[in-house]
Amino acid sequence: MTKLSTLFLGGFIALASLSPAIAEQVTIATDATFPPFESVDADGKLVGYDIDLMSAVCKAAELDCNIIAAAWEGMIPGLTAGKYDALISQLTVTDARRKIIAFSDIYSHPTFRFVAKKGADLDISPDGLAGKIVAVQTGTPMDAFVTKTFPKATIKRYDGGSAPYLELTAGRADLHMSYEAQITHAFLNGDNAEKFELVGPQYTGKDAPEFGEGVAIAINRRNADLLAKINAGLAKIRENGELAAIDAKYFGKN
Amino acid sequence: MNWDIIAENLGFYAQGAKLTVILTVVSLAISFVVAMPLALGRNSHNAFLRNAIALYTLVFRGTPLLVQLFLIYYGLAQFDLVRESLLWPWLSSALVCVILTFVLNTTAYTTEIFAGSLRHLPVGEIEAARAYGMSPFTRARRILLPAMLTRSLTLYGNETVMMLHATSLASTVTLLEVTGVARNIALNHYIMFEPYVTAAAIYLVLTLVLVLLFQFAQHRWAGYLQARL
Repeated sequence: MTKLSTLFLGGFIALASLSPAIAEQVTIATDATFPPFESVDADGKLVGYDIDLMSAVCKAAELDCNIIAAAWEGMIPGLTAGKYDALISQLTVTDARRKIIAFSDIYSHPTFRFVAKKGADLDISPDGLAGKIVAVQTGTPMDAFVTKTFPKATIKRYDGGSAPYLELTAGRADLHMSYEAQITHAFLNGDNAEKFELVGPQYTGKDAPEFGEGVAIAINRRNADLLAKINAGLAKIRENGELAAIDAKYFGKN
Repeated sequence: MNWDIIAENLGFYAQGAKLTVILTVVSLAISFVVAMPLALGRNSHNAFLRNAIALYTLVFRGTPLLVQLFLIYYGLAQFDLVRESLLWPWLSSALVCVILTFVLNTTAYTTEIFAGSLRHLPVGEIEAARAYGMSPFTRARRILLPAMLTRSLTLYGNETVMMLHATSLASTVTLLEVTGVARNIALNHYIMFEPYVTAAAIYLVLTLVLVLLFQFAQHRWAGYLQARL
């Protein structure tokens, strides 16, 4: 064997012996364009309901977690490809998603609403929204729901969770649909509270299958061990009141 | 592999390819016409004109296209003044904003390419034109522009290919061109390889068409510049 190949082999062995230590860290991706659930603060740090919840779960399950920001588009493909070990991003549990990824126990049951300019007097029905521009984030339950329910509306789809709000304030969109908690806590404050309001009924998974069963942490299907640990962590923070404390911190409910 | 999803969406890709071609052709056609006088102005004796055009090309070549697009599409919409202006029906359209941005950007590059070729023109040709008593307009039409365009062909061909590829940024403001279609499929079916490799193949074919067109043009109009050994 030449000296050079010995050197390479030595290098590989050194790397291989390092990797178990790296593998123990759990990489969790989040789409940080969705306040108050997940966003980046002024210091570039990830903050929000999901981030607090995930940190608490990791602590309870004694996992060494590294939560990173990722683009919404690449999250589920990245999870199935093994780039991330888990995802936390207000992911709703749907049958289509269950086919390719595993979900933890459900940790919350969101409601979904439309938001529009005050006094726009919109009739939320398939005919009433004919020709209206509805902004949604691509590939979300809201996208699936409006696409199916309001075929006569013009649906504009965005990569991130914040762009639809910009379009609504700019007047390029008549309506936007999202998680009610997101609209009330991250959008309807300050100036916007005077100009915009929630419209139409409150939707949940019971109204349309597109809205799913609830929100959970997504895990690679091959990683049953991590799924069990995360579920155990979730159960623990539910029991010891940490989950209720996070709920209260963000939404002021018990 | 999930090629059946791609097969189901071939019509969607065809619409995307159509929009990609429209964006490329419209942006290039407008910028070609605008860049010709700008290139002449860039080499003008009038220092104000020369420097004003230099400043424009510096700004648009000195900032990323994506940043320009976001500034024009999202940025302008933030101002009430713009939203209440007569231009808003135009500026509220994603298509108009995208074409405006592309034209501003590619015109800056094209102007510099054309102006550069103009500077490589043998002084003798211009002097001869003057000696013939040609007016500045005739000189531009018969000597400067044809010589400038033939000398620019290779570089300009590259710029058109770059423009074609740059149209992929239109998907960031909701336009469903080829990349937008690929992204939409990726987001709804949770696959990345198949939709993007299909998009890449479409761009490759379109690029090939552009390259062949420019090879033909080179042969047809710039043959006299070819070095013969």
